Amino acid sequence: MPSMDTSFIIEITKRDFAERFAGSVLGSTWAIIWPVVNLFIYIVIFGKVMGARLPGTSDMNAYGIYLAAGLIPWAAFAATITRSTSVFIDKKHIISKVSTSLPSLQLHIFLSETITFLISMMVFFFILTLQGHDFHPSLWLLPFLYYLQQLLALSIGLFTAVLNVFIRDVREITGVILQLWFWFTPIVYTSDILPGVVQKILPYNPAYIIIQSYQRMFIFHDYPPFHALLFLTITTHILLSFAFATFRYLEKDIRDFL
Amino acid sequence: MISVQNISKTFKLYQTPSDRLKEIFSKRSYHKSFSAVNDISFEVQEGETFGIVGENGAGKSTILKLLTGILLPDTGTIHINGKITGLLELGTGFNSEFSGIDNIIHNATYLGLTRKEIDDRLDAIIAFTELKDFINEPIKTYSSGMVMRLAFSVAIHADPTVFVVDEALSVGDAYFQQKCMKKIKAFKKKGGSIVFVSHDMNAVKVLCDKALLLEKGKMLEQGEPEGIINTYNFLIAKRSQGEKLQYQDTPISSSGYGNHKAFIEKISLINENNDPSEILLSGHPVKIIIQIMGHNDIEKLTLGFVIRDKYGQDIYGTNSYHLKKEISINQGERINVTYSFDQFNVGPGKYSITAALHTGSNHIDECFHWLDKGTVFEVISGNGHIFTGLLRLTPELYMDATKQQLSPNKLPT
Repeated sequence: MPSMDTSFIIEITKRDFAERFAGSVLGSTWAIIWPVVNLFIYIVIFGKVMGARLPGTSDMNAYGIYLAAGLIPWAAFAATITRSTSVFIDKKHIISKVSTSLPSLQLHIFLSETITFLISMMVFFFILTLQGHDFHPSLWLLPFLYYLQQLLALSIGLFTAVLNVFIRDVREITGVILQLWFWFTPIVYTSDILPGVVQKILPYNPAYIIIQSYQRMFIFHDYPPFHALLFLTITTHILLSFAFATFRYLEKDIRDFL
Repeated sequence: MISVQNISKTFKLYQTPSDRLKEIFSKRSYHKSFSAVNDISFEVQEGETFGIVGENGAGKSTILKLLTGILLPDTGTIHINGKITGLLELGTGFNSEFSGIDNIIHNATYLGLTRKEIDDRLDAIIAFTELKDFINEPIKTYSSGMVMRLAFSVAIHADPTVFVVDEALSVGDAYFQQKCMKKIKAFKKKGGSIVFVSHDMNAVKVLCDKALLLEKGKMLEQGEPEGIINTYNFLIAKRSQGEKLQYQDTPISSSGYGNHKAFIEKISLINENNDPSEILLSGHPVKIIIQIMGHNDIEKLTLGFVIRDKYGQDIYGTNSYHLKKEISINQGERINVTYSFDQFNVGPGKYSITAALHTGSNHIDECFHWLDKGTVFEVISGNGHIFTGLLRLTPELYMDATKQQLSPNKLPT
């Protein structure tokens, strides 16, 4: 891995949050307000008010939890990719002025999104505890799952970030693909409503493997599909190596173009 | 210490950035190459100031960017013992919404300090800015001078071993500039090196121990600043002979104001070798030639000029009326009026010439043409003694020593 400056990553991450809430009265409290509101929508509005049921369960709360278990990780995953893609362009004013390690810029997004994820997860766990939810021991695997998911996001993000320097449309294309990807992954719906053909290719959707694991751990009190995860771990590392090699190959050009 | 060996940097110019990607997949070439830096080597020792001189586009900035690691060289190696900080990146990442102290911390991080190092130096940095009372205010409330003070203060406390300075320091008021210069001198004394890039030949002469002359990315000469500057002047003079000065080639008679019954076509400067030149040596012969053209017949015409410094202050001005020379011009006639100086006793710096055609002693009654900034030029020190200021006075120094017997108990206290 590249030489990275921890101080640098931490400082720009801090600045990231500070800038987002700069000048607002509540400041970083907003970082907590948002996940609370989102979880309220998932669990109370979708789960209780609209009375949506998860097929095969009788639990009134099940659909809300199903939504939250899928949406919180997806939000981190998608945001990491989106923000990584444009990070070189966004931080152009820094890259063209001081010597910066470009991978550090990617890592700061990883870190920043992790903080958002952690806050959401904490709120989620808090609500679940209030409801007397039955926690399955597989939840200990959560950090690994998150790590894997973000590593995948980072690999994709690094690759698209490199491309985005040369073709600015990549940012928009990435946005479109993520949107489609979201709807092709059973996050707000369950996989059994999909037509047979789509169900067959579903196991090759990395997002499905990840989201499904979360759903199993939170809702279905089950362990994640280990075979699929192993496959994904290997693929992710290959992808990351590939993305990093591409980056190194083009780093000089990236700096010239910025 | 810096050791740069055979670095080259070629920029590939693409029609669009995406052509770079096309190139990877096809064998075709989609770019034009532009060699910005070509096989440059130099070394800067501890405590040394190294000047890089050259015209616009000679590759000076590219070398700085390579040194600071913003750009990567194609070939060659750069070794730097310790940290290099540029004054060209003053205030990187400043955000006007945040307080001075937040921006110090943030900016210092970009300059490569760890959080602990920043905390240790925070007080010193704030003290140096002399902005203690405002340090918790957002910097949008600061004046631009205050922001510069903040930025410089962080840079100088980043403890680099090499400083990169682009052009002369212009931070804040004279008082703060002096403070900065003192700090830089102390930095040199401690063994810090400085790489200094400038068009200001005088600054290079005064500040640098060694210099490098660049032309179109190639090294022309390296060595004592004195010799480098002479070569640079020669280069400029040669170029101006061959290609004519761009500035003066542009038609300027349409600019300015007046009734244009007669107008100024061109102002040119001639150096002691009778070559047109924008660079003049202080104390050497110079001619200012003003070419005028008549649209009407005018009997008594006055032609004047003013030399102004970079702040627009009048340095010297006179006209033909005061010099008691009468000029008359006929329709369609072109006259070259020459003001000749045996010794052009103007101090080093950048100046402009404004010329005017009018009647009588000044332009108030009838002004034919008033041309602001008809040409610009730079004066650099000649071979005489070193001095500062706008005037090259040539004092002689005498000493008159007498000896007086002082009795021990009458020592002045």
